[in-house]
Amino acid sequence: MTADYLQIKDIHKDYSGLLVLAGVDFTVKEKERHAVIGPNGAGKTTLFNIISGKFRPSSGAILFKGRDVSGEPADVLSRMGLARSFQITNVFQELSVFDNIRSGVRSRYGLRYHFFRKPDNNGRINARTEAIAEELGLKDFLHVPASSLSYGQQRALEIAVTLSTGPELILLDEPTAGMTREETAQAIQMIDRVTAGRTLVIIEHDMDVVFSLADTISVLHYGKILVSGAPDEIRCDQRVKDAYLGEEHE
Amino acid sequence: MILQKQAPHLSIATLFALGALVPLVLRQYHVNMLTEIIIFALYAVSYNLLLGYAGLLSFGHAMFFGTGAFAAAVALLHIPGLSLWGAIGFAVAMTTVTGFAVGGLLLRHKGSYFALLTLAFNSLFYAVATKWQTVTGGDDGLSVTRPALNLGFATVKMAAISNFYYFTLVIVGAAMVFCWYFTRTAMGQTVLLMRENEERMKFLGYSTNISRLILFTFTGAVAGLSGAFYTLHFQFVSLSAVSVDMTTTVLLMTFVGGTRTFWGPILGSFVYIIIQNYLSDITDRWPLFMGLIFIFLVLLVPGGLSQIIGSIRDWLTRKRTPDEPAAEKAS
Amino acid sequence: MSEFIVFFLHGLAYAGLLFLVSAGLTLVFGMMNVLNFAHAAMYMLGAYFSYTLVAVTGRFWPSLILCPVLLFVAGALVERFLLRRVHVHGHLHELLLTFGLSYIITELVKSVWGNYPLAMNVGGFLGTSIQFLGILYPVYRIFIFLCAVLVGLAMALILYRTRLGIILRASVNDGEMVNALGINVPLVLMGVFGFGAALSGFAGVIAGPLLTTYPGMAHEILIDAFVVIVVGGFGSLGGAVAASLLIGELQSFGVLLFPKLSLALVYLLMAAVLIVKPSGLFGEKQ
Repeated sequence: MTADYLQIKDIHKDYSGLLVLAGVDFTVKEKERHAVIGPNGAGKTTLFNIISGKFRPSSGAILFKGRDVSGEPADVLSRMGLARSFQITNVFQELSVFDNIRSGVRSRYGLRYHFFRKPDNNGRINARTEAIAEELGLKDFLHVPASSLSYGQQRALEIAVTLSTGPELILLDEPTAGMTREETAQAIQMIDRVTAGRTLVIIEHDMDVVFSLADTISVLHYGKILVSGAPDEIRCDQRVKDAYLGEEHE
Repeated sequence: MILQKQAPHLSIATLFALGALVPLVLRQYHVNMLTEIIIFALYAVSYNLLLGYAGLLSFGHAMFFGTGAFAAAVALLHIPGLSLWGAIGFAVAMTTVTGFAVGGLLLRHKGSYFALLTLAFNSLFYAVATKWQTVTGGDDGLSVTRPALNLGFATVKMAAISNFYYFTLVIVGAAMVFCWYFTRTAMGQTVLLMRENEERMKFLGYSTNISRLILFTFTGAVAGLSGAFYTLHFQFVSLSAVSVDMTTTVLLMTFVGGTRTFWGPILGSFVYIIIQNYLSDITDRWPLFMGLIFIFLVLLVPGGLSQIIGSIRDWLTRKRTPDEPAAEKAS
Repeated sequence: MSEFIVFFLHGLAYAGLLFLVSAGLTLVFGMMNVLNFAHAAMYMLGAYFSYTLVAVTGRFWPSLILCPVLLFVAGALVERFLLRRVHVHGHLHELLLTFGLSYIITELVKSVWGNYPLAMNVGGFLGTSIQFLGILYPVYRIFIFLCAVLVGLAMALILYRTRLGIILRASVNDGEMVNALGINVPLVLMGVFGFGAALSGFAGVIAGPLLTTYPGMAHEILIDAFVVIVVGGFGSLGGAVAASLLIGELQSFGVLLFPKLSLALVYLLMAAVLIVKPSGLFGEKQ
């Protein structure tokens, strides 16, 4: 276990004067399950967008496996072993489940720009694609277009596509958004299973889920990390209570 | 659809066989026309890889067609004893380099801005060709003679159109088959997926800039190959080969035929050249006719003629199976 | 020295024309996010309409007012009945539509007026030359520059000093919201497109006596206007002013100083800008 697998150092982000992140600091250890929680508008998704290379930070640094990756584009980070999911399902809607998942699998196996080889003929890639679909309960829908799936299946596909590149570090942005309590419980069980043995950073609203799943919790509030610690510490922390209760009073 | 998985090996073989038999029945005038159609079909196929598959609207494809056409002519004129293969190879090499350089400059931009820049670069190429008379011959153009084809074991004279027709059918036809194969390769699929969801592709480890540059260079090289054949076919090349009109031509062919299928542009080049040949006898205003068809399709049938054909086919097959349950309306 | 002044003034006149064309193009692009390939074809229509009007009436002034009005109507109709229909299909289709229109207009012009250049005389005071700074200079070229200055000022005033301008700029940022506030955004957009067409028609009328009127004139000005947009930055009115002046003078002095390279100079400038500052001199970073 490396102690400084992913280090977020003093990340600032402002959009033409509007400060969204005001110096975020936290560290994720290898194989840790790390949850980022915080009231709406705290900047959680912005933080993910910066870690995963969608946006550049205004200042600050991100170290991934000891290397400064701040400002690196998403494709470079992906090839380094980082993957992320989206809060709003962001897959290839016109394509089948199989083609969706295979897009990432073949990227992992280096079959991205090849001029002569066809993904269709690659047994290893196709087997891996089917395996991922099975893990996420999509085996019976392999040839169904993504747009025809139910909402729950779409969310599963979102995670399947995220896992398709075989990442070491997985960022999940509210994987259970829009689900009922029972669906959420099932989904979390599945996530726990499919991400076993890898490093996970997850944004989640359901507190039961967060406290049962995470090893470490970081609370993001007004663009800063209020506190980072084990679930029990967070549960008792007065500042966290204030942040959440403060929001509910409004 | 572009993603259809059926294997049309049989139809490809049939087309080649038909193509091989055609000169036995057609008059020389028609063989000439068919050669031209095959050459333009490849040009349109390469254009559709950009427009239909990658969703990139370029108004500058003639810079590659023209570069290929002039490169072949210049090579034949200035390198004594150059073989047919040498001229074609030189043209493809030149357009590959051109595509890479131009693509590197333009592909940082997308959408309308990309379209605008490609048009400006096409004009730049035209301006250079106009001014660089010592190489391009300026307004006079360049005349060349087709060298004989050396097959190693035999030499085939290319002066006769039927011989050149077969040569075109084999080489240009093979290039088209490769383009079709390309749409199924990893690279071809990457291009398609990028049009579907570019952002997700980045998060899956694909560099969209590299993908676009590779595609742009490839389509440039293929257009260059068709340009070289254009020169060899007419044994003459003029500034019109690199003009914006030549881009307009390929855009009309591709769109009229249909950008959503692989064979649409091939159909489009057929229709275009036949209209050009027969309508131009009746009226000087045949381009107006083409333009009206184009606007009509843009407004009402964005999938072009191949969409119309597809709908007719669907309609016919549905008629044959009346048992199919009627579509239920959700109200 | 007097030669220098003459070429400088020539440059100003061409810059004025370029600005008139590219301002409409930029306006429509900025407001509607539509790159109108038919813009230059409408400019050409303006020139041909004016040619016929002048031939019939024998006077230049009426066409200066009537042609832009005609093109405003034509532009508004195109937006209402053609552009709006393809809008749902997205960007690519809008571009293809305007491209198709420009193609058809060019072919129509060829069949109505013929595929050869037509010359036109302005006549009257505009057709004379005046003496100043030791040179004799045509009034008409000065008139072009003044027109461009007036149009530029009027556009800036409307956009930044009137309620209409506020609505226009708000429609760009959030059309739905402006619509919800009770303003008819589709009508506004129709007006904007019509205004762009009118502006191109106005430029065409003015270009007629300066350049010859022929079917290739659309393509020629379109490329220069595109270069203005690339150099000045997409959607920037200030950029259009600066780039028009730069390219107008470059064209003019290019002929004087490097006659062999004159055509390529403009493109070289464009390529240089693309390499050094891809978003244009005044453009925002994309």
